[in-house]
Amino acid sequence: MLKILLPTIMLVPTIWAVPAKYLWSTTLSYSLIISLISLTWLKSSAESGWSFLNPYMATDPLSTPLLALTCWLLPLMILASQNHTAPEPISRQRTYITLLTSLQIFLIMAFSATEVIMFYIMFEATLIPTLVIITRWGNQTERLNAGTYFLFYTLAGSLPLLVALLLLQNNTGTLSLLTLQYTPSMQLSSFADKLWWAGCLLAFLVKMPLYGAHLWLPKAHVEAPIAGSMVLAAVLLKLGGYGMMRMMIMLEPLTKELSYPFIIFALWGVIMTGSICLRQTDLKSLIAYSSVSHMGLVAAGILIQTSWGFTGALILMIAHGLTSSALFCLANTNYERTHSRTMILARGLQMVLPLMTAWWFIASLANLALPPLPNLMGELMIITSLFHWSWWTIALTGGGTLITAGYSLYMFLMTQRGPLPAHIISLDPTHSREHLLMALHLLPLILLISKPELIWGWTA
Amino acid sequence: MEAMRKKAVDALPGSSWTPLEINPNLPPERADIVIVGGGVVGWSIAYWLKQKEMVRGGVRVLVVEKDPTYSQASTVLSAGGIRQQFSLPENIHLSLASADFMRNINDHLGVLNEDPIDLQFNHSGYLFLASEAVAHIMEENYSTQRYAGAKVSLLSPTQLKEKFPWLNTEGVVLASYGLENEGWFDPWTLLNAFKRKAISMGAIQCCGEVTVCTSFFPTSDDGMSACVEQVQMPNSLEYQPVECAIVVNAAGAFSGKLTEMLGIGFGPKQSIAGIPLPVEPRKRYVYVVHCPDGPGLDTPFLIDYSGVYVRREGLGGNYIAGASPEEAAEPDASNLEVDHSFFEENVWPHLAFRVPAFEKLKVTSAWAGFYDYNTFDQNAIIGTHPLINNMYFATGFSGHGLQHSPAVGRAVAELILDGSYKTLDLSGFGFNRILTQEPKLERNIV
Repeated sequence: MLKILLPTIMLVPTIWAVPAKYLWSTTLSYSLIISLISLTWLKSSAESGWSFLNPYMATDPLSTPLLALTCWLLPLMILASQNHTAPEPISRQRTYITLLTSLQIFLIMAFSATEVIMFYIMFEATLIPTLVIITRWGNQTERLNAGTYFLFYTLAGSLPLLVALLLLQNNTGTLSLLTLQYTPSMQLSSFADKLWWAGCLLAFLVKMPLYGAHLWLPKAHVEAPIAGSMVLAAVLLKLGGYGMMRMMIMLEPLTKELSYPFIIFALWGVIMTGSICLRQTDLKSLIAYSSVSHMGLVAAGILIQTSWGFTGALILMIAHGLTSSALFCLANTNYERTHSRTMILARGLQMVLPLMTAWWFIASLANLALPPLPNLMGELMIITSLFHWSWWTIALTGGGTLITAGYSLYMFLMTQRGPLPAHIISLDPTHSREHLLMALHLLPLILLISKPELIWGWTA
Repeated sequence: MEAMRKKAVDALPGSSWTPLEINPNLPPERADIVIVGGGVVGWSIAYWLKQKEMVRGGVRVLVVEKDPTYSQASTVLSAGGIRQQFSLPENIHLSLASADFMRNINDHLGVLNEDPIDLQFNHSGYLFLASEAVAHIMEENYSTQRYAGAKVSLLSPTQLKEKFPWLNTEGVVLASYGLENEGWFDPWTLLNAFKRKAISMGAIQCCGEVTVCTSFFPTSDDGMSACVEQVQMPNSLEYQPVECAIVVNAAGAFSGKLTEMLGIGFGPKQSIAGIPLPVEPRKRYVYVVHCPDGPGLDTPFLIDYSGVYVRREGLGGNYIAGASPEEAAEPDASNLEVDHSFFEENVWPHLAFRVPAFEKLKVTSAWAGFYDYNTFDQNAIIGTHPLINNMYFATGFSGHGLQHSPAVGRAVAELILDGSYKTLDLSGFGFNRILTQEPKLERNIV
């Protein structure tokens, strides 16, 4: 564990000490090496237990895929940010990469925390670098509004969580995840108990986000620079999912009145945000709403507390992380060329940048859960376990799948096909850096087809 | 206490209060399409872009106008005529489409709960008089116009005398009279109608001047992409950079200055970059005269073969007259001062000869306005430039901008959003004809 964490911490002085000429190549190769070493976590000795154990940090099959995703994302973020930060002064570039690295450090500590309070502190700590990235490096005046929404939605959701955790500590005497899973199931009888149950989950539902509390996400995603969007979509949303999965173990049994509202919100959110996507004019906004849609399915899968639901949720989280981040990178390549995120102004790109169309195609197909990609595997497991729980959910999840396919194809056809406007006939050809970025996103996704055991959690 | 409460109310999410006070007069930091020039062509393009976006809020359109009083803008200083009597089919189709638009203007530009638009479109028609020398040109133009769908008729001198007894037909061999869709209207109303409708559909306007417009990729070999670096606020040092995807040059008489900012015209002489945009301001005078015994209500927009024109203005015996000066005697275009001797020497003699009632008239007022004069061939320049890949021109109309504005706005919006012309093919007005030195001239230029 420390052999990943300490190098990541030492990356910060490296950023400030390395000469300006070698800044980007050094940080890129350094973070790439860290991510390759982090892949060793995936081979865990105990199938269902904890590995790489020390008193404060450990990995288990639930957190390992998310940790690998987090470590994998840092070199990708650095690769994506290189172009748009190039005109800035060098110390500002260094600050930017430091923020990304500090975010990485907090995320590693969050995913590997054994004590729930440490997880909570790291969960909150990730807000600070993200807020700085959005408000300082975003593009428009609306970024201040976006930062405010982001910060206060998450804080308001997580304060009840703090209270709930303190109550739990008082009750059971420990908050260590290793032992918490063995506590006897608690009877949630009084109204205060039900509030406690809601308090445990609210922070994560806002983070996921659940449909009713999702307003911060489109704003934050659209206003953030590319690295901010990538890390938000790929990892920060999964913090919510991870937290929910951890807390669910001890929040059994499922009671109707407590979980129904959230499951219904989540499923309804799939349909609603999918429909909103069909009417979006801003490309990044479309991808942001599609994130809400996928995460709604994940939230529903977790809330029904079955093993297939958990497995499907985890697979979908990893697959969605890679896909969504890839789509944001593609949107950024568009933005860097035309300086506009409006879809109607950048059409017919297949004529001008055909190789990029191939990446757009694969990413759009991944988004609409094409077999045999892991996106489909995750969605299918969640849909079947929901169906088993209640037959009526098939109407919502089936409709959601249809709408997802609709807007993914709409996004592809709108940007790649269609008439070519006169002003984008001469665009910069696709750089190798962009090809590398897309390959590093989509290659793991494709390779996961052959070994999904890596990402499906505890299910043997 | 009250102030604190108000501050708290402002700070709730959903309100637009921010801790950093933002000057509300500044344009937004980012816009998809920036239209430089808030005249009738600029606002027509803004309206059509908003009309053609498929979803509300599809494109963010910003119109930058440096003078909200329009004191020097060609639009409002125009005589306001519209005619189909051109020799180029494109010009005829443009006027026909615009006239159709303006006849149904409330269907297009009406805003809910606002007053309906009254353009005061006087359908009195244009009357062109031809001498012996140019009569054959008039006949050929007549067949082009009829073929294109314009309702024009040719009149012999006797028919002319029958129809307009106040006219002196000496020297006139042939006359061409527009029967439908020709006349004059109020340019200020049209401008405001476009502006009101475009703003109601979400276009943003900004009062400021584009002072710096540079390129994104100055070292790229593929050509530059214009981006508006600075929009300067009036009477202040404050400026705002506006990041944009497309710049539309609808600055009229001052379009040349915008392209100069990008370095067009300053390259080596025989290169593409060395050819400037051939649009410059040319001053034209308009005189308002009062003649109580004048021609009357059926006076058409009369254009004599000497270049003098006159039309009725209102119902009180007032007329608007003027003439195009000789190439050599172009007035100084650095200001809008009126030269009254021009009327005495160049306009009145021909006017009095042609319409004897005008021998007794009194000049009540006069003004001057700029033509966005295309020095190359006096016709519009619409489309992209080969070197700047995201600037669209809609300028160089040389006196016809107002009458073509609705159709030109639609054409430019189609070019931007659909990639090519859909209703009218105006590719003949592209910039390339200036590079290949093939002028597209009208056979009789007014």
